[in-house]
Amino acid sequence: MSKTKHIVDVKRQNIRMDMTAMCDVGFLLLTFFILTAKFKPNEPVKVDIPMSGAVTNIPAKDILLISVGDDGRIFLGVDDKPTRNAMLDEISKRYNFTVDGNMQKRFANLDQFGVPLEQLPALLKLNPEESNSYVQPGLKCNPDAKILPGQTGSDTAKNQLGELIVIARSLNDRLVIAVKADKGANYDKVDAVIETLRKTNSNRFNLVTSVKNEKE
Amino acid sequence: MSEVASGKKGAPAIDMTPMVDLAFLLIAFFMLATTLAKPKAMEILKPAKKEKDTKDDPVVNKGRVMSILLGENDKIYYYQISDEDLAKGNLKVDSTDFSAKGVRGAIRFRQDAVAADPRFGNKDSLIVLIKGAPKAKYKNMVDILDEMRISKVKSYALVDRDKVDTAIMENIGLLKK
Repeated sequence: MSKTKHIVDVKRQNIRMDMTAMCDVGFLLLTFFILTAKFKPNEPVKVDIPMSGAVTNIPAKDILLISVGDDGRIFLGVDDKPTRNAMLDEISKRYNFTVDGNMQKRFANLDQFGVPLEQLPALLKLNPEESNSYVQPGLKCNPDAKILPGQTGSDTAKNQLGELIVIARSLNDRLVIAVKADKGANYDKVDAVIETLRKTNSNRFNLVTSVKNEKE
Repeated sequence: MSEVASGKKGAPAIDMTPMVDLAFLLIAFFMLATTLAKPKAMEILKPAKKEKDTKDDPVVNKGRVMSILLGENDKIYYYQISDEDLAKGNLKVDSTDFSAKGVRGAIRFRQDAVAADPRFGNKDSLIVLIKGAPKAKYKNMVDILDEMRISKVKSYALVDRDKVDTAIMENIGLLKK
């Protein structure tokens, strides 16, 4: 009897594994990941961020995000809800408008906004369907203007971005500033944001970039 | 006697393998989709704003400074021009692009030149000042900051344009006179 013959002769046992337990674990994990996955927030401006070889992580919370679209429109958002509510109170005091519960709710759900502060009540009065199609003109940010509370004066001589940064940072001192600008945004717009940050003594900030795979 | 009548119940064995495969495939997808797409931050630290220049500002030897000007259409201009050159109208500017040989080569060349200079003797003495034309793209700004990291330039800064830069930008046509 040859050796190979011998192997073939062995009576094989059919192995059946019970997959039920493994299946349970699989779906449990699957459910966990689906539930913990964050949905992409509804952004008022599409920002295509540039790539870089930077390795620093952005903290998960307490972020003051300044977005710059490729057309130079500037948006601001704070992720911390209590800070967001307190900001609306402060803005309404400075710009003399009253906030009802509905407006409060709308502002709490606005991840970012970019309208001149005088127009903020009008934005908050829009219903959700209207506001999705409404194109926000962006925040006023004149880097040469002084940052004053409840700014008056002509339209161009305002730096409401600076004012909002001051308000947000005074309400929450843990805020980390992140600037998320589009690849195609012009340098002078981004520079205006950076100058405004310096004017508000926010000298440390982060530029948000996506990961580049370097072939060096 | 038929099998049905015997009352012998065979456990219905369902093959769970494809289901498990599917579950784990989806798990893998959600894990990758949630963790890998995280953006990274490029940390910037700017000096505090001053009202005006003071006498205490450090005076830097122009020999170790390299100015990089981000132009339009992904062009880069680089130069070392002192105030005296400007007075003489001597505005010689080199231009390059973001290819690996382009700006990286130019920076390496300046690093070597600074290292070879007995006054400095070290390539870390090079100071790169980055300025941008108003119509330069933000992508270029991030790229040049990345380039600083790749070329291991120790001292670099994003600065406002001074009168030399303004004259050059007007000369090239990046700024209106």
